[in-house]
Amino acid sequence: MKKAFRYLLFLVIIAFVAYNSVYFKKLDEVNAGTDSFNGRKFATKFWTEKLEPALANAPEAAQLFDLLKANREQAFSRFGKSMSIGNIKYFLVKGTGKIQSVEENRIVILVRTRSGEKPVTIATEYIFGNAVRDASGQIDINDFANSSDLNAISAELNQIIRDKVLPPFLAKVKKGDEVTFSGAVELNQKYPDLVNIEIIPIRLGFNTSLETKPE
Amino acid sequence: MKPNHILLPIYILFTLGLIGCKTEQSEEEPKKMAIVVSTLNNPWFVFLAEQAQLKAKELGYESKVFDSQNNTAQETDHFENAIASGYDAILFNPTDADGSIVNVKNATAAGVPVFCMDREVNANGAATSQILSDSYSGCVAIGKYFVETLNKKGKYVEILGMVGDNNTWNRSKGFHSVVDQYPDLKMVAQQSADFDRNKAMEVLESILQAQPDIDAVFCGNDAMAMGAYQALVAAGKAEHVKVFGFDGAEDVVKSIQDGKIMATGMQFPIVMAQTAATFADQYFKGERKFPKKMPVAVELVKRDNIENYAAYGKED
Repeated sequence: MKKAFRYLLFLVIIAFVAYNSVYFKKLDEVNAGTDSFNGRKFATKFWTEKLEPALANAPEAAQLFDLLKANREQAFSRFGKSMSIGNIKYFLVKGTGKIQSVEENRIVILVRTRSGEKPVTIATEYIFGNAVRDASGQIDINDFANSSDLNAISAELNQIIRDKVLPPFLAKVKKGDEVTFSGAVELNQKYPDLVNIEIIPIRLGFNTSLETKPE
Repeated sequence: MKPNHILLPIYILFTLGLIGCKTEQSEEEPKKMAIVVSTLNNPWFVFLAEQAQLKAKELGYESKVFDSQNNTAQETDHFENAIASGYDAILFNPTDADGSIVNVKNATAAGVPVFCMDREVNANGAATSQILSDSYSGCVAIGKYFVETLNKKGKYVEILGMVGDNNTWNRSKGFHSVVDQYPDLKMVAQQSADFDRNKAMEVLESILQAQPDIDAVFCGNDAMAMGAYQALVAAGKAEHVKVFGFDGAEDVVKSIQDGKIMATGMQFPIVMAQTAATFADQYFKGERKFPKKMPVAVELVKRDNIENYAAYGKED
C-alpha cells in the first residue's frame, strides 16, 4: 500500500514536471509581439496628436528639393529623421503642384522649384514601410518593449493611408488638377536617388476644395 | 502562459552565486570582453564576431569568442564561464529572444553589462543596449521588389529562420506586410530551416515534391537562400524560380552579380559589432546612459544597384 502510494506520488511529480517543461504551439501562432500592445489604437492617436501637427513644420517640397541639390549634407542633417544608424533617412514634406499623370501604382505631380518643374511621385499602390512613422521624429524607440510593436505602428499608419487618405482623392483626381500634398519621403544618404523621389501621402487635397484627411 | 514564480528562489540563488563567482579585479588589470555568438556555423556570424574582436582589440581590450551553436543551454554555460572568468562586458548575439533573457539578467545582476548585437531579447532594459538590424523595414523593401518582379501574381514558398528569434518574425512580417496585399500571390508552403543552409536545401527539396510549379522563394537569411538555390539547381528549376534572401552575405552578393539570386537585404554587421564594442568601452569609462535599442538600417540590394555594395556592407 505504502509502495503503491510512493509510486503514485512519483508519477504525479513526473507528470507535473513534464507538463511544466513542454508545451506545443502552431508555427503561425508564434510571434515576437507583445499581446498587450494595440497598434491600431496607438497609430490613430499618433496620427491626430503628433503627425498632423508636425506637418505644420515640414519643409516645402521645392525648398527641400533645392537644398538636396545644392547641399545634400545640410538637407539631411536639417530635415532628415531616423530611428536607425545608417544611410536611410526620412523627411516630412508638403507642397503644391499640378497633376502630370495618374497611373496604376502612382500619381506624378509637377512641383515648381528654382531649377524648373520637377516631377515627383505620390505612391498610391505601395504604401508600406516606416517612412510615415519615422519622418516626424515623434516616436521614441525606448518607449517600446520590442521591435514588433513598433512595426505594428507602421502597418497601422499605412492602413490609415490606404483606407482614408487615398480613396476619396483617387475618386476625383485627374490630369491637370492643381493639388496640395503632405507626406513622407525615404532617401538613402549615401546613394540618394533625387530623380525618382516618391512621397507616401499623409494629406492630399485639391486647391479648390477641402483636403481629404482621416476623420 | 504558465506561472514561473516557483523558479524565482532558484533564480535568486543562482544570481547570488554568480555574483560570488565574479573575481575582484584591480583597476590596473586590463578589461576583457566576452563575445558570445549564436553560431559560428554561418559565415555572417563569424564575420560579426571577428569585427567585434577587431574593434575590442583596437580599443585596447582582450576578448574571446564563444560559440553557442544555436543552443540556449550552451549559451548559458558560456555566460556562467564568462562571468566566473572575470569578463567585464559581454557582446552578445542571442540564440532566443525569450530563452536568452535569463542569461542577460544574470550577467547584469553580476555587474557585467551586456550589449546585444543583431538579435534582441524580449525584455526592455535587461541588456545595457541592443544594437539591431531593422529587419522589418529591410524585408518591406524586399517585399515590394518581390511583388514588382513577380508582376503581383504567382506561387511562392517562404523559408523561415529560427522560430524563437525575433528577427525571423520581423523579417517575415515585413515581407508579408507587402505581399499579403496581393491575393494573386499565393504562399504554398511556409517552413522553418533554422537559418541553416543544409536544412533549407532539404526543406525546399521536400516542398518541391508536393509543389513543383512555384515561381519564387523568400528566405529569412542568405544561408537559407543559398540552400534553396542549391535545391532548385538539383531540381532543374533555378532558371525559372526567383530566390530572395536577407543578410548581405558574400556568396549571395556574388550570386546577385551572377544573376542567380534576385535580391537581399544588406545588413551592416560591422556597424553593429563596432557599436557594441564602443559602447562597452564607454561603459568601462563611466558612461551609463545608452539607448536601450539602436536599430541599424537595412538596404535593398538587387541587380541594378549591386555595384554600390560589397559583402557584409563592407566599404570597397
